[in-house]
Amino acid sequence: MSTDQLTRTASRGTGPRASVDRVRGYLGRVDRRFLPVLGTVLTLLLMLGVGQSRYSTDRASFLSMKLLSNLLVDNSYLLVLAVGMTFVILQGGIDLSVGAVVALVGLATAKLFTAGLPLPVVLAVGVLIGTSCGLLIGVMVQVFDIQPFIASLAVMFLARGLANVVSTNSLAIDDPGFSALAAWSLKFGEGRGLWRINASMLIAFAVLLVAVYLLHYTRFGRTVYGLGAGDRGAAVTLMGLQPARTRVWVYVISGTCAGIAGILFALYTKSGFNLTGIGMELDAIAAVVIGGTLLSGGVGFVLGTGAGVLVYGLIQVLIAREGLDSWWTRVFIGAVLLAFVMLQRVVSVRRR
Amino acid sequence: MTTSTTHGPGGRAGTIWREVTQHGLLWPSVALVALLLACGAKSPGFLDVTLRDDHLYGQLVDLLRNSATPLLLALGMCLVIATGGIDLSVGAVMAMSLAVSLTYLDGAADPSSPVTVATALALGLGLGAVAGAFNGFMVAALGIQPFIATMILMVAGRGVAMLITEGQITTVTSPPFKSLGSGFVLGVPTPVVIAVAVFVLVTLAVRRTALGMFLESIGINREASRLAGVKARSTTWTVYVIAGLLAGLAGIVYGAPTMAADANNIGLLRELDAIMVVVLGGTRLDGGRFHLGGLVVGALLLSALERAVIIFELPSQTTPLFKAVVLIAVCVAASPYLRGRLRTPRPGARGAQRPVEVAA
Amino acid sequence: MSDRNAQADDAAVRMTGITITFPGVKALDGVDLVLRRGEVHALMGENGAGKSTLIKALTGVYRVDSGGIAVDGRELRFDDPSQAQAAGISTVYQEVNLCTNLTVAENVMLGHEVRRGPFVDWRATRQEARRYLQRLNLDIDPRSPLASHSIAVQQLCAIARALVVDAKVLVLDEPTSSLDKAEVAELFRVVRTLRDAGVAILFVSHFLEQVYALSDRMTVLRNGRFVGEFRTAELSRRDLISHMVGRSGEALAGIEEQARTAVTTHSSRETPLLTAVGLGKDGSVEAFDLDLYPGEIVGFAGLLGSGRTEAARLLTGADRPDHGGLRLQGSPVRLPTPLAALRRGIALSTEDRKKEGVIGDLTVRENIALALQASRGTWRRIPRRELDEIVQRYMVALNINPPNPNALIRNLSGGNQQKVLLARWLATAPRLLVLDEPTRGIDIGAKTEIQRLVTELAADGLSVVFISSELEEVLRLSQRVVVMRDRQKIAEVTNGDDVTTETVLETIASSGVHAS
Repeated sequence: MSTDQLTRTASRGTGPRASVDRVRGYLGRVDRRFLPVLGTVLTLLLMLGVGQSRYSTDRASFLSMKLLSNLLVDNSYLLVLAVGMTFVILQGGIDLSVGAVVALVGLATAKLFTAGLPLPVVLAVGVLIGTSCGLLIGVMVQVFDIQPFIASLAVMFLARGLANVVSTNSLAIDDPGFSALAAWSLKFGEGRGLWRINASMLIAFAVLLVAVYLLHYTRFGRTVYGLGAGDRGAAVTLMGLQPARTRVWVYVISGTCAGIAGILFALYTKSGFNLTGIGMELDAIAAVVIGGTLLSGGVGFVLGTGAGVLVYGLIQVLIAREGLDSWWTRVFIGAVLLAFVMLQRVVSVRRR
Repeated sequence: MTTSTTHGPGGRAGTIWREVTQHGLLWPSVALVALLLACGAKSPGFLDVTLRDDHLYGQLVDLLRNSATPLLLALGMCLVIATGGIDLSVGAVMAMSLAVSLTYLDGAADPSSPVTVATALALGLGLGAVAGAFNGFMVAALGIQPFIATMILMVAGRGVAMLITEGQITTVTSPPFKSLGSGFVLGVPTPVVIAVAVFVLVTLAVRRTALGMFLESIGINREASRLAGVKARSTTWTVYVIAGLLAGLAGIVYGAPTMAADANNIGLLRELDAIMVVVLGGTRLDGGRFHLGGLVVGALLLSALERAVIIFELPSQTTPLFKAVVLIAVCVAASPYLRGRLRTPRPGARGAQRPVEVAA
Repeated sequence: MSDRNAQADDAAVRMTGITITFPGVKALDGVDLVLRRGEVHALMGENGAGKSTLIKALTGVYRVDSGGIAVDGRELRFDDPSQAQAAGISTVYQEVNLCTNLTVAENVMLGHEVRRGPFVDWRATRQEARRYLQRLNLDIDPRSPLASHSIAVQQLCAIARALVVDAKVLVLDEPTSSLDKAEVAELFRVVRTLRDAGVAILFVSHFLEQVYALSDRMTVLRNGRFVGEFRTAELSRRDLISHMVGRSGEALAGIEEQARTAVTTHSSRETPLLTAVGLGKDGSVEAFDLDLYPGEIVGFAGLLGSGRTEAARLLTGADRPDHGGLRLQGSPVRLPTPLAALRRGIALSTEDRKKEGVIGDLTVRENIALALQASRGTWRRIPRRELDEIVQRYMVALNINPPNPNALIRNLSGGNQQKVLLARWLATAPRLLVLDEPTRGIDIGAKTEIQRLVTELAADGLSVVFISSELEEVLRLSQRVVVMRDRQKIAEVTNGDDVTTETVLETIASSGVHAS
């Protein structure tokens, strides 16, 4: 109530005072929507700066296409997962199942290859496994009114259990077509400056572009944002949109992304393993939050998620370059997360 | 409602029937009993309890012992969930507490002396409480969403535990400390005694005081509670500290039998088990009304499930599959959609569940 | 005014024999409603009469059990709101149901965006939105987030949305409950323009003056049943009220007499119970002085946003002041939290019953006990017997219905919820009770009961601050009236025969000549 009263005079008044208010309001508006993403970009630049000053040598600059290329090669699966998670979080939900789905898809892919199925079929089935997991969550959330946390937790257990049923050993994938796909890349530069664009990167980029289109240039996207507004979709319903369908679709998208990520991860490791992806959902959530999306839903940009994934990958690179033990990664990611959550808090307080 | 006429000779029986069938604990309890009976049928010795050297032994005793850790975690989790929060960090806190306790024992001159063990215990519990206080600070003082606030420690906590143990799996020998996890008190396994004692303590603290009502009122409507004079902030903070403390205790009880501080694996995904126990126990994840009694059923159901997989000679890795099935079944059975379907057919949309509010 | 829309076949919507049953409750029983093109039709009835349910049937939120809805003579059946909207029925709800995290343009155009191929053309969409907003004389940046605008502007955006869908029928459900006078005038101007353009408008409001100012015809409901359809010009207010409550409106007159006598008998002026000295909060309410005496009712008059709620919150520890302070019986006191105020016998019943009052999933008993228990602390639980006694006493005294302390409060009607909240505060035995809009959105029966109770409490020595949007109500109950405007206290007058709604409105409208 008091919020409206505070803004009331600002929007109604006239004269110099009002125009000052308007300018301030405009700045505040810019702050509010872009500040978290701006923070992400600044962090990214800061980390690149630190890297550049500490690890550049006469022969090779830290900042290079090679660095970017490596970051994307190592994290393309995470980018796809985080993009899917962005839909879910914007809509006001959460999906804990994606890590387990990645493991399941990887194993299923390996198993299907052993069964002698052709490459396109295997890939399609792999992605569809993810899609069905997402659909299952969506139905539980929408039809049975189970909280997303619990619904996706159940599917996480389900996917992990199924993965264990498929195999408890690491299954190598030696299908020639698959190996060729994994090895394929466009090479640029030469010598130490050599960098590549591989299939995973292209797929991840394609997913990102589709996500930008869906979220920012379709009615579906606006409905996703509207559902995240915090009134359990009441407004969206009363505006005559399709909240139920949208909510299910969001989980289907997230599940599909997890399926694609599963394939990408299999391409990356050329194997399937039932213990893959434990905690991967947290990586994805962390990347989304670092990318400036509010966990409460309704505010954020999918491109910010892209930046968030880069920050995430860069932390690992810096830790490795610094020669620190790998557990420092977790501590650092926790610290970065803390900083971003604080930043979002400050922004949302100012919004009041 | 038609149930009163079809399911009982009189109105009273109908009321009882309705209360039983509508009770959140019905299906978890049924599942637990069915599971235990099935295990008993499959493995005849399952339900036997024997007394050897004044100690209780048997599959059921093991079941109770295994239920202790999830129950301890779920107790704290349940209070946190009642306030509308969640604590994802408890698994990592388990690892941290055990790491600090064992590292202290490792460095002590005499790891078996009572003072050393008591100090180690206090350090572990203290760290748990500090972790809880950090979560509480983020949630109650800074107003950060509980999910993300506790996720920070969930991610970083294991790294911290690694820092404490310097990346090693610290192993020490200290019989008194070990007995916290594997000993017996009056023939009953120590973890069971600890869990029961804590359960009773928490139940008394919550239901014999106004704490329980305050937790529920905060979880349902925080601002209205504050305006009614409830100390929402400090109360919320308190439950996170309790959750941290209990997670620390759980870590010690869980890790004591092995005496090895494996920071990577101790308590891994235990937070999810704890949340599952709370949900199985009939408490909704969005806060408000909570049921401590249900936690016992939930914790037992969880361990019975794990045990049943072994009894039925299934690969133990398939346990998550059965967890998923039980979780989905219980949630779907409790869902308003299905309940609505089972009762009289209603007009109109999903929004029409609360007639009086609708009319107002 | 009335002969303009005389023909019966002007009906844009004809609802006949609408019946809706919820488990155990017949919310609507054979209700008829006819909305004519180019006419404003008011839907009247007490709370619980079925107005909201009927609106939700019309807008497709609820499905009807029996009865028909014909739009432009075609029988239709709505399974969800999108179908009703497709049929040309648009709704502006009491609490604006738009997405505050989206921009103005997105909210206005959502579902009707301008497209270029598979893409939404945002630039063109914004231009369209601006065009519609300008038709309502609303000059705001379509790119600004909706949340940055006042409720009034948001409501106009909702109407702009109705223009976008080219609504034949516009439903306005309590659109004015949080608007000030100028905003109401602007809204009415827009509504009249739409009416003249041939839109059929259904208008629901608790404010009788507004209904009489705007509507051409009205339909009255009572207890889910159709009472009748009337031409506004031909129905007196008294008759309208008696149709709504099903009894003569004498009860209201009685309470006024009682309060009037209270005014003359109770105005003790010994020591003030609570004194505000230069109390203020930046951006909320400017510094004001105020004395509150035992046994006295002080009314706060002022429009919404005048600072009356903010002042009340500063007096009761709900918000912390930036300037000035409080004196309790002469000695300085700080009230950093509501609890601190409660422990000193100062209670606030908040304006927003749903968000800041009731704890929906707790029982009536627990809701009553909450504040008393909070003041006693977490560890000393109120003994069961004592609590039962307290609960019983207030449930009887306040006539709370249903008389079941174990009922969940969210299942009670608005008026009964308000009574439970009153019981919550009275159970703490306060010395000062600040009531912010205690009678808003509740039916006339409960309203008179609450008004009577307030006068009785003051007669027993309680100090009361009474805040209401209804000036008549404030003047009827208060011995002293504090007039507020633009977040300032602009006047303080002792109530008497020379003080009328007109004089108070004049004070609000004037440039603060009476400033204290």
